[in-house]
Amino acid sequence: MVLVVAGVVTSLLLSATLLEAATDPWRALFARTRGADIWLQLTAGTDARPLADLGGVTGLAGPYQVAAATVVSGPLAAPVRLWAMPGMPAIGRPLLRQGNWLTAAQPSGVVLEASFAQALHARVGSALVTEGLDGSSVRTTVVGIAATSDQGLYPDQTPGLMWVMPSLIGWVEPVAKHTQEMVGLRLSSPAATGFVLQEAITRLGSNSVISASTWHDVKQSVDGEDPLLGLLLALFGLVALGGAVLAVSNAASGRILVQLQELAMLKTLGFTPGQLVGMLIAEQAALGLAGAGMGVALSGLLTAPLMRYVPVGLLAAGTLPPAGWVVLIAGGTVMAVLLATAVPGWRAGRVWPADAIRPSAPGGRLSRFARAALMSRLPPAVVLGARTSFTRRLPAALTIGGLALPMMMGTIGIGFWATLDTMQRHPAEIGLAGALSVRPGELSEAQTSRIVAADREAAAVYPWVKVSALLPGETSAITTIGAGTSARPYPFHVADGRLYHAPGEAVATQSLLDAVHLQVGEYMRMPVGGVYVIFHIVGRIIEPEYGGQVIAYGIDTLTQAGAVPPPFSYRLVLRPGVSLAAAEAHLLRASRSRLAVAPAANPAASLGIMRPMLAGLFAVLGLIALTSVLTAAAVGLRDHLRDIGALRAMGLTPRQIMISFVTRVAVLAFVAALAGAVCGLVLSARLIDLVGQAYGIGAGLGSAPSAGATLTAMAIAVVAAGLAAIVPAARATRTPIATVLRPY
Amino acid sequence: MTRADAACQGGWPGPAQPEAPVLMRAAGLTKVFQTGAGTVHALRGVDLLIRRGEFVAVMGPSGSGKSTLLHVLGGLEPATSGEIWLDGHRVDQLSQARWAVVRRHHIGFVFQSFNLVSNMTVADNVELAALISGATRREARARQEELLAGLRLTAKARAAPALLSGGEQQRVALARALASRPSLLLADEPTGNLDSANTADVLRLLRKSHVQGQAILLVTHDARAASMADRVVNLFDGMIADDARLPPEPGRPAAAGIPGLRD
Repeated sequence: MVLVVAGVVTSLLLSATLLEAATDPWRALFARTRGADIWLQLTAGTDARPLADLGGVTGLAGPYQVAAATVVSGPLAAPVRLWAMPGMPAIGRPLLRQGNWLTAAQPSGVVLEASFAQALHARVGSALVTEGLDGSSVRTTVVGIAATSDQGLYPDQTPGLMWVMPSLIGWVEPVAKHTQEMVGLRLSSPAATGFVLQEAITRLGSNSVISASTWHDVKQSVDGEDPLLGLLLALFGLVALGGAVLAVSNAASGRILVQLQELAMLKTLGFTPGQLVGMLIAEQAALGLAGAGMGVALSGLLTAPLMRYVPVGLLAAGTLPPAGWVVLIAGGTVMAVLLATAVPGWRAGRVWPADAIRPSAPGGRLSRFARAALMSRLPPAVVLGARTSFTRRLPAALTIGGLALPMMMGTIGIGFWATLDTMQRHPAEIGLAGALSVRPGELSEAQTSRIVAADREAAAVYPWVKVSALLPGETSAITTIGAGTSARPYPFHVADGRLYHAPGEAVATQSLLDAVHLQVGEYMRMPVGGVYVIFHIVGRIIEPEYGGQVIAYGIDTLTQAGAVPPPFSYRLVLRPGVSLAAAEAHLLRASRSRLAVAPAANPAASLGIMRPMLAGLFAVLGLIALTSVLTAAAVGLRDHLRDIGALRAMGLTPRQIMISFVTRVAVLAFVAALAGAVCGLVLSARLIDLVGQAYGIGAGLGSAPSAGATLTAMAIAVVAAGLAAIVPAARATRTPIATVLRPY
Repeated sequence: MTRADAACQGGWPGPAQPEAPVLMRAAGLTKVFQTGAGTVHALRGVDLLIRRGEFVAVMGPSGSGKSTLLHVLGGLEPATSGEIWLDGHRVDQLSQARWAVVRRHHIGFVFQSFNLVSNMTVADNVELAALISGATRREARARQEELLAGLRLTAKARAAPALLSGGEQQRVALARALASRPSLLLADEPTGNLDSANTADVLRLLRKSHVQGQAILLVTHDARAASMADRVVNLFDGMIADDARLPPEPGRPAAAGIPGLRD
């Protein structure tokens, strides 16, 4: 029981941490570090004090001396900004992750920003060489790694960030004029950022201000990483919560059921029902608290290693789950235990002792069905076992629920896994048939097309142009793509309808169709490249690369309408068996590195974290299911212990008895697995589609879990349930008949 | 005279003895069960009187309602109708909680089986009963040791109940029932599952406590056990068929209910 609660609490806490980290990592960190809303880079020597008087400014950070430099770590060299921060300030306080902060005792010690440290493969204690612009170099040692909300992640935002002692800046960049100042402003209202920024620049004079960044810029560069992940985690978390509640209630009420007789005995001795219920609740509460404590400790231990695997975790606010969540989850679980105890406990208290003193399993007759099964030479053990699965209705229902829910989640998880697989191994099915994108780079268009056409690794080459267009009625631009020609269209993955085959025909993604309230088969008129073009939408495609709102057509549609397309780039569909790296290298060689070759972006790469997460989820679900199985086994044992003696007297061997016992549990598991798998199959594709739609990729992204995988999962579930039931069953059959038949 | 008193006048007209005060009186007890198969009238108007120190045996074929009578008298089941008076107080309408308190101080139970709490040692089982009746820890410990010694179970005091034989378990159960010094001991076929040696042990203890003044209501099949009683009540089909006072024998306590007589 303790283990169950511990497991449940651990998993819930970990998911909560991940959820919070994934959904809005930047804001959490900003709050933790009391970040500054505006950062200004000023020329050296600028007096920033007047800024403190600006309306809306609640605090001033700095000015800090900064200097540009290069840091060398082994074979890697990267541009870095040195930031003098000898102590921990009140505003914009970096969050120390590992190691210590700077001290005067170690002037050559530096603290690296977390994403920068990861890029450099540097850890606490690593030695780096910091080189100034004029070539002077200083040996430095990493004393700590910290996270900050003032700057985006490296390498999205360069240069990297390194905090140093002021003396170090003096060594690296002795000329003060070549250094700059950083000043941070914390505002009372983030909405006034733009206004205050303008005021600040006016007050200081635009000569002094080299650059400025606001919290909005930083947030934008950090976010958008994985809103998908956050949503999926939330969904999983909710359902896991439901399953966890079921498992916990099942375990708690199962324990009481098993103790009914002793409770009656205690009542005979003279314990009042109130005292007994109180004792039960206290006992279960103690177990629940122990489990919750264990869970909190475990999750604290596991959070740090987990965070290292999550890219988003670089920015997560701390290595411990936030206190609010801890209280909520631990408290909630204990409450669930108490509630699950209170109800059966109260009922047990109300029952008059005489009824409980003689334990009896609910009765029943040998149904005609069972009789027929027995006569048809089915193993009697199996029939008897199956028959007893449903003698107690409510516990059976609870067990089935407790097993079906994890099964359903597991099936959905398999669906996600299958989708990830598809995205990675068959990008064509999600609209990324063209693995390589080639842009002219330094060569002319003619040269590019010649090289590309001659490439032997490409199975097909499609010209590709991207033109911005203005959505009718909207003020924001969308991406339109001329992909291939109408005679030879780019092989998008069509979910509805067909590809374009004639000039004027086009395909669009779901989110675009939603935005313009059109459906497949209708017409749309849009200004593209300065010319109005009428598109006949003939199909709906899946296109994950450009953020969802995409319309694609043959390039000849553009030229026919009179627009001049921009220079082509090319999408190459590689021949099967050709690796991306090899093709890339080949093209670079053929063009003597003057072509810009890049692999097309595959969102599956950023979702890579899903796999270990899914594995973890499966583990948790397994734990929840195991609890339900063990509870069912314990209840069954209590009910049918006396039957065992009678059955053996009738001539069933111990092995047959064990089979009957295991069958009982297995039948429940089978029903649950079936129910769960069916629900999971139905929901899985729908769920992925929903998520895809929400994020603009469009429906059709999801692959349902394959029949084979689902059946395997079901089989594993049933077999595992049977195995789990073997231990109590074996114990029951090993007791000598006399002990079993004895009334006590 | 009440119906209850009249019922007890039948039987052997023994030598006039000073009547001990009435401990428990039941009048018109009925108990009706609703089962899936229909209604079962387990008790149909039972009247019973038990005096302090009296040993009453209840006999009858199985299904006659003996166990039900015991459960109802002990508050383990509510009677459908009728009155029960314990020591001058009316107890049949009490709630479970009140009954529990009554049982603590006044009633001890021994069942045919399932007497002991399985996850406590033998000694703890006995001490628990004493503690809950209000004895201090030292008193409870002393009483437990004395009872177990009397039953020759001191060696098994720290064992778990599951490790004891059936006879030993019943002896412990008896010790536990007596540990709280109840006014009335209710025993439901305590020797039902025992062999002759164990039966003799249990009966010997029953007799010893009876001699020390313990009032006992014993439900039994065993004629030898019944023969130790002062009175035998025969139950048939939920009604009292006979209520006879047994003649005193040499070796049996001369008068029922007179405390102080040693065996």
